[in-house]
Amino acid sequence: MAKSKTSTTYALFGLILAAAILMISGNASATLTAKANHDNIKINFFYHGSTVGVSGISEPGTDLVIKIASPEGHEALKEKGKVGGLLWMNVGTMKFEHVPHFYSIHSTKKLDELLTSEERDKYGIGYKALERGAALDPVRSDEEKAQWFEEFIRFKEKSKLYTASAGNIELKDKDGKQSYYILTAWPYQAPPGDYLVTVYAVKDGRVIDQAASKVHVEQAGIVKTLAGMARNNAALYGLISIVSALGAGFGVGLIFRKGGGAH
Amino acid sequence: MHLYLPVALTSINILIPVGLGLAVGLLSGLFGVGGGFLMTPLLIMFGIPSTVAAATDSNQIVAASTSGTYAHWKVGNVDFKMGFHLLIGGFIGGLLGVQAIKVLKAMGNADFVIKMTYVLMLGVVGSYMFIESLQAIRKSKNKAEAVKPLQEKENSFSRFLKSLPLQTRYEKSGVTHSMILPIVFGGFVGVLAALMGVGGGFLMVPVMVYILRMPMHVVVGTSLFQILFNCIEVTFLQAYTNHNVDFILAVLLLLGSTVGAQIGTVFGRKLRGEQLKIILAVIVLLVTVKIVFDLTLTPSLLLAQAGGH
Repeated sequence: MAKSKTSTTYALFGLILAAAILMISGNASATLTAKANHDNIKINFFYHGSTVGVSGISEPGTDLVIKIASPEGHEALKEKGKVGGLLWMNVGTMKFEHVPHFYSIHSTKKLDELLTSEERDKYGIGYKALERGAALDPVRSDEEKAQWFEEFIRFKEKSKLYTASAGNIELKDKDGKQSYYILTAWPYQAPPGDYLVTVYAVKDGRVIDQAASKVHVEQAGIVKTLAGMARNNAALYGLISIVSALGAGFGVGLIFRKGGGAH
Repeated sequence: MHLYLPVALTSINILIPVGLGLAVGLLSGLFGVGGGFLMTPLLIMFGIPSTVAAATDSNQIVAASTSGTYAHWKVGNVDFKMGFHLLIGGFIGGLLGVQAIKVLKAMGNADFVIKMTYVLMLGVVGSYMFIESLQAIRKSKNKAEAVKPLQEKENSFSRFLKSLPLQTRYEKSGVTHSMILPIVFGGFVGVLAALMGVGGGFLMVPVMVYILRMPMHVVVGTSLFQILFNCIEVTFLQAYTNHNVDFILAVLLLLGSTVGAQIGTVFGRKLRGEQLKIILAVIVLLVTVKIVFDLTLTPSLLLAQAGGH
């Protein structure tokens, strides 16, 4: 008797819990889903970058913003300046705090048409929001910060680590819902690590929903072996490099003597 | 075909490093230079981080200079005694140069001093070699004579050199000098090379030609011999302390450079000493002009990857 009573209590409790979860999730993410189709990228010997597709379902009529980024960190870059009013050279180091190493943002329309600047700052959407969240050192004024952050974006875009696009997300009607899809080029310059994919559903200048997924990039095979050895077994790695070079030099020398004879 | 480079963390078309290796290896076999002053900037241009480019290049030079030294040794163009004395100087000079960099960095103007040293040394060495070898070519044309023995210009400098102690005969080079001479000048090149982050072949060659008065063909072989040892040391230190040597990139480079060095050696024997000198002078001057342009033109990007971390 006692046993069945306990199980009834548990069942009842479970039912309430399930209903509560359903209600909460029903409110927060009515339909938005996100999936990265290529979420485990392996860097092998012949790796030359990859592609990542992000797809899912959203409420009809909502706009979407898709962000793929590495966690925020800091970067130190060499700063070039004029010396003596004539010669360009490295004049110091510019430090950037709270910036992701990799940042890729895609939206159905231009970001400033979709979201208020407060919302963009809140969710870290767009280069302007990154700039406001970042700290630069050394800069003396906001103009200087803006100027150097612009250089930072140019540097990052040149190395394919930052990208931004508008209007490249494909939208389709599907059973009364909206399905979305984007295929992005994944640059080989992006280092191993975890990347967070966040999809924001947007309406009337505000983010109304979000969903997340992730992309994991790791080294595999020979690349992993060599990179690990260079770091963890540096003396042996150095010796192997030297011996291989000596061997190759002698080897080619011998081949030429046999092939070419004495000139 | 593209390969991924595990230390440089980037992907490269294999034709690029093999082609670069072939071209720079050719120069190496011809002139007895490592070619670091050409290879490192080229690798950076193709997206290799600067620290990895310099370290991996020294690994590659080990292969190219082995190949080149071997080829020159077979035809008797390596003066091992001279090479050994230059090495002693170069080793001490390298240690001093590394200390000099530390002092300059503490003073805060390292980059300026290094760049200026680079431009001045390249410019002066290139111009001097160019003018001198041009005169030599003109002279030999006028006389229409076969190779004349080196004119011993007895000036006060050479008298001073003759008066130094520890005079010794360098058989292969056919010269007699004080042992101090190659050690001091090897040291001088070592300081500058460490300062500029290059092997210093383009400085060592003129030192051997103009100060040690060695015949050009022995200069090339001997220079390669001592570059080989320098680069073995640098490769190990770079791999061990900075983890900057990319094995795959080095293999791709040496595929080209070892073959290039052999071709260069064969080709070099068909050219006369003055002709070799004037071509090297032109290459050095072109690199100088390129660096001067880089310094004066506004760069497209004002930020760059920082060096080692």
